[in-house]
Amino acid sequence: MANPSTTTSLWREHVLPFTLLLGLLAAATLAGDYLLHRLDLVWVGRYLGIPGTLLIIGSLVYSLRKRKIITAGNPKNLLTLHEIGTWLGSLMVLLHAGIHFNAILPWLATVAMGVNVISGMVGKLLLDRSRRHVQGQREHYQLRGLAKPEVERAVFWDAVTLDAMNQWRKVHIPIFIVFAVLSIGHIVSVFLFWGWL
Amino acid sequence: MKLVVKLVLAANLIVLAVLAFIYPHLMVSPGKLIPGHRELEADCFACHAPFTGAAAERCIACHKPAEIGRLTTTGQVVTQPLSVTPFHQKLSSQDCVACHSDHAGVKRFRQAGRFNHALLQRETRELCQDCHKSPNDSLHQQITGNCSQCHSLGKWTPATFDHNKYFVLDRDHNARCVTCHVRNDYSRYTCYGCHEHTLAGIRREHIEEGIRDFDNCVECHRSADEHDIKGRNGESRDKREGKRDRKKHDDD
Repeated sequence: MANPSTTTSLWREHVLPFTLLLGLLAAATLAGDYLLHRLDLVWVGRYLGIPGTLLIIGSLVYSLRKRKIITAGNPKNLLTLHEIGTWLGSLMVLLHAGIHFNAILPWLATVAMGVNVISGMVGKLLLDRSRRHVQGQREHYQLRGLAKPEVERAVFWDAVTLDAMNQWRKVHIPIFIVFAVLSIGHIVSVFLFWGWL
Repeated sequence: MKLVVKLVLAANLIVLAVLAFIYPHLMVSPGKLIPGHRELEADCFACHAPFTGAAAERCIACHKPAEIGRLTTTGQVVTQPLSVTPFHQKLSSQDCVACHSDHAGVKRFRQAGRFNHALLQRETRELCQDCHKSPNDSLHQQITGNCSQCHSLGKWTPATFDHNKYFVLDRDHNARCVTCHVRNDYSRYTCYGCHEHTLAGIRREHIEEGIRDFDNCVECHRSADEHDIKGRNGESRDKREGKRDRKKHDDD
């Protein structure tokens, strides 16, 4: 039989924040869409795809930092920026998509983005668990005489390289690639047919 | 990433790319085309030029501006025109997409029946009655032309006419037009249309002040502020009293 305190902790620490973040994204999308229609500002939603995409692209700095392609920036802060940037960017793209079904490609891109967001939130949940798991190692590092920022960095990298995280990454990266290619397809088609010049 | 995953991913994306080229109307088109252009659905470049959008020249190749509203693209006479007067001949420039959207998804962002009057030639812009019927109320029946004196080209309502120049409609006078302008006759008004003012009450108050001519209320009262009383020439009471004092002083 499951321990009630473990079930409560799993619910409070993992399931509830995950559901809240996802629910908030859905609620913010519906509220934003309603407001844009109510205020006769539907055209604003049409252009929200641009800042949304830029935010998502900007948040990829964390991915570059994690792969050591760039070395500047605190990885912990960059991860927070990655989480906030992708959440906000997704909200803007969802508002841009609205609840209108026109063509298949942009909708596949939207669905891929949705799956990507859910996958990202699962990654956040796993990372929190990993962090707790390696928390015990903090004392070990401190005993070795490392300075506090160095300990924080070591614990952070331990958390992101745990096996569960590696397994999750194997799913998250292909989902992201699908999302990126479909989005690029949509953006290229818009550039090709829209009167930009 | 495993090689198999990479291959499956690449294969799926290639299939999607191929589908986008074979079925562009399903894969990338922003909604169905208008019925008249349905046969062009799979031929995006019939109207669109790469990176420059739907060019007016391509529209004009079939829809000659001189014939719009008069003849169809096949040369048939238009029996039921959408506007009373053909006006495409009087546009200052040919910018078709400024008003027209052929895709359902793009149309959604435009308000139906909205037309940017700034696209008309200057002299045509003044001839509102050529396309619009004058409202049936007694005020508008007395007026011919010169609509822009009270209305903007963007919206008919609200009128740009500044009521505050004649009387300020503040929270004490947040009334329906017919309360003061009976039967929508805007050439007249009455201040006795509500329960606040009665002829007997107004007469008593004015006679007490020695004022006998109080028929035209807005001549002196331009707002609900009873201290802001103008004279016949629009002067405030303070100024009038100053003049009276000066006259008295000169007489002395």
